[in-house]
Amino acid sequence: MTTQPAALVQRLFAGAWLLTCIVFAVIGWDYQAEFSYEPVGPRAYPLLCLGLMAIGLAWLIVRPPALKHEEDDAPMDAALLRKAMLCIALLLAYAGLFEPLGFIPSSALVGSFIALLYGGRPLPAVTTCTLLSAGLYLLFDCLLEVPLPLGVLERLPF
Amino acid sequence: METFNYLGQGFGVALTPYNLVTALLGTLIGTVVGLLPGIGPINGVALLIPVAYALGMPPESALILLAAVYLGCEYGGRISSILLNIPGEASTVMTTLDGYPMARQGLAGVALSLSAWSSFLGALIATCGMVLFAPLLARWAIAFGPAEYFVLMVLAIVALSGLANDRPLKTLLAALLGLFLSSVGIDANSGVYRFTFDSLHVADGIQFVVLVLGLFSVSEILLLLEKTHSGHRMVEATGRMLFNAREAASVFWINMRCGVLGFFMGVLPGAGATLASAVAYMSEKRLAGDSGRFGQGDLRGLAAPETAIGGAACGAMVPMLTLGVPGSGTTAVMIGALSLYNITPGPLLFQEQPQVVWGLIASLFVANVMLLILNVPMVRVFTRILAVPNWALVPAIAIITTIGVYAVHATTFDLVLMVAIGVLGYLLRKLDFPLSPVLLGFILGGLMEQNLRRALSISDGELGILWASPISLATWGLVGLMLVLPLWRAWRKR
Repeated sequence: MTTQPAALVQRLFAGAWLLTCIVFAVIGWDYQAEFSYEPVGPRAYPLLCLGLMAIGLAWLIVRPPALKHEEDDAPMDAALLRKAMLCIALLLAYAGLFEPLGFIPSSALVGSFIALLYGGRPLPAVTTCTLLSAGLYLLFDCLLEVPLPLGVLERLPF
Repeated sequence: METFNYLGQGFGVALTPYNLVTALLGTLIGTVVGLLPGIGPINGVALLIPVAYALGMPPESALILLAAVYLGCEYGGRISSILLNIPGEASTVMTTLDGYPMARQGLAGVALSLSAWSSFLGALIATCGMVLFAPLLARWAIAFGPAEYFVLMVLAIVALSGLANDRPLKTLLAALLGLFLSSVGIDANSGVYRFTFDSLHVADGIQFVVLVLGLFSVSEILLLLEKTHSGHRMVEATGRMLFNAREAASVFWINMRCGVLGFFMGVLPGAGATLASAVAYMSEKRLAGDSGRFGQGDLRGLAAPETAIGGAACGAMVPMLTLGVPGSGTTAVMIGALSLYNITPGPLLFQEQPQVVWGLIASLFVANVMLLILNVPMVRVFTRILAVPNWALVPAIAIITTIGVYAVHATTFDLVLMVAIGVLGYLLRKLDFPLSPVLLGFILGGLMEQNLRRALSISDGELGILWASPISLATWGLVGLMLVLPLWRAWRKR
């Protein structure tokens, strides 16, 4: 990433953040206590944070600093961006399937896809993630008593 | 004398078979958790809070477990820094500077064992410092009223942005984001729902574990995707596995200096191990002058930050226990754990719950010895664990992270929120915003607002109360200094 696009990306990000601050400030302006026994109401503190953030962000838009790069930083090309989007989609799918499908099937399924995304071969990926899911279920739900959903496996006798 | 009596009682608590096993398990789990990129000490401790609670552990044992995990993670965290050039934590960034070049020169074993020894010495010095100074600070802290607390938290936020690194504006913005996020949910004073968008899921505010795991684990998963995409290879540990006496002697005084420095930096609220390791590295680099090969595999460049991290990890517990102000992201999580047990950290904790405080301090001695015994001979084993490929590591991180979040409220809303926060964390990291200040801001935010409102209620809205006492005035002086320092530094650079 050259300096110019890096500055543009930072400006865009800071701009979006600033816009969010303004929206939140408008929403927060209406916060009033029905009755109050203290001089500071519920809106002063968040508005102060938003105001200070807005000043900092405005400065960042005007003078975005150069971004540091690590030696082995991968350039954000289209292929990597697609993979990142897919990874986020998989994590969201995991959240959605967690309760209806249950911990073990959803972890084995989504975990296998994530393993494939990170360069695993199909058979080792599926085997590893299935064993991992079952093992972690036994560890957390049975041994450590952290309740996890069984989902479709609920009908099984364990 | 009284202090040593209490310490004796503390050892009585720490050396019970149950607590010894707890500390041993904690150090083991911590080291392994610290090894895994993506599950740093903050996540490791956060993941174990529900476990400790679910197991019905007494508060002192739960705290011993979490402290041992914390120290263990700090030990384990350096391993991925040295072998993979992936700092598991912000604090271990400096370790990569000379540790990774050493590994590439075939000295991975020496780097790992010497850093373990340095970390041990740092933690030992800091634990001695805790015994000597923590009760004094606790007595002094009683003089803190709401106004003084508020100014102290302003100092913590400003100290972070002014000294922490070369990007003060971004650090400050990150801290402000954390401060703002803490205001989401029902306002405790008025009952007004703030920024909840009529969702009951966030009526209690954003859960701390959701924020931590989203910011750190999910963003790390995405960063690991980049590393996989670019074909990043790990380094094999070759050659001898242990440092020799000559190498240890050559860094002995660095260990002493940086241990003391790390302790005091750890005590500073909001500063923590990241700042300590950076300052230790920079000062030793300056002291070495032309004789140093810093950045190319210099032993001193490895020993300095590691000793400071060890010292700061223990030092950070002093403000946590005595003032209730987290000295680092991990101690912020530990305050959350204490609240689960209805224990309020602060000046009175030393009087009301001595078994908790002194049991913890004594267990730090025990945990440090255990860590050294576990770590140095097991360097070879750890390097093998790191051979786990990303395709197997990342699903494990994702699944464990999900369990950690789901365990809090058993709602999938939190999982979606965690992913959203993770994406934000990833963007912030890509754009050089540090993540630890978000966390510290989030933890300090609630306390800061409550103390400000309490102080202004006492003074009936008169702002003068914020600088009425000598403590507040002195703290404001420090705030001013912290604000001027970056400007002075920038001016000197010219």
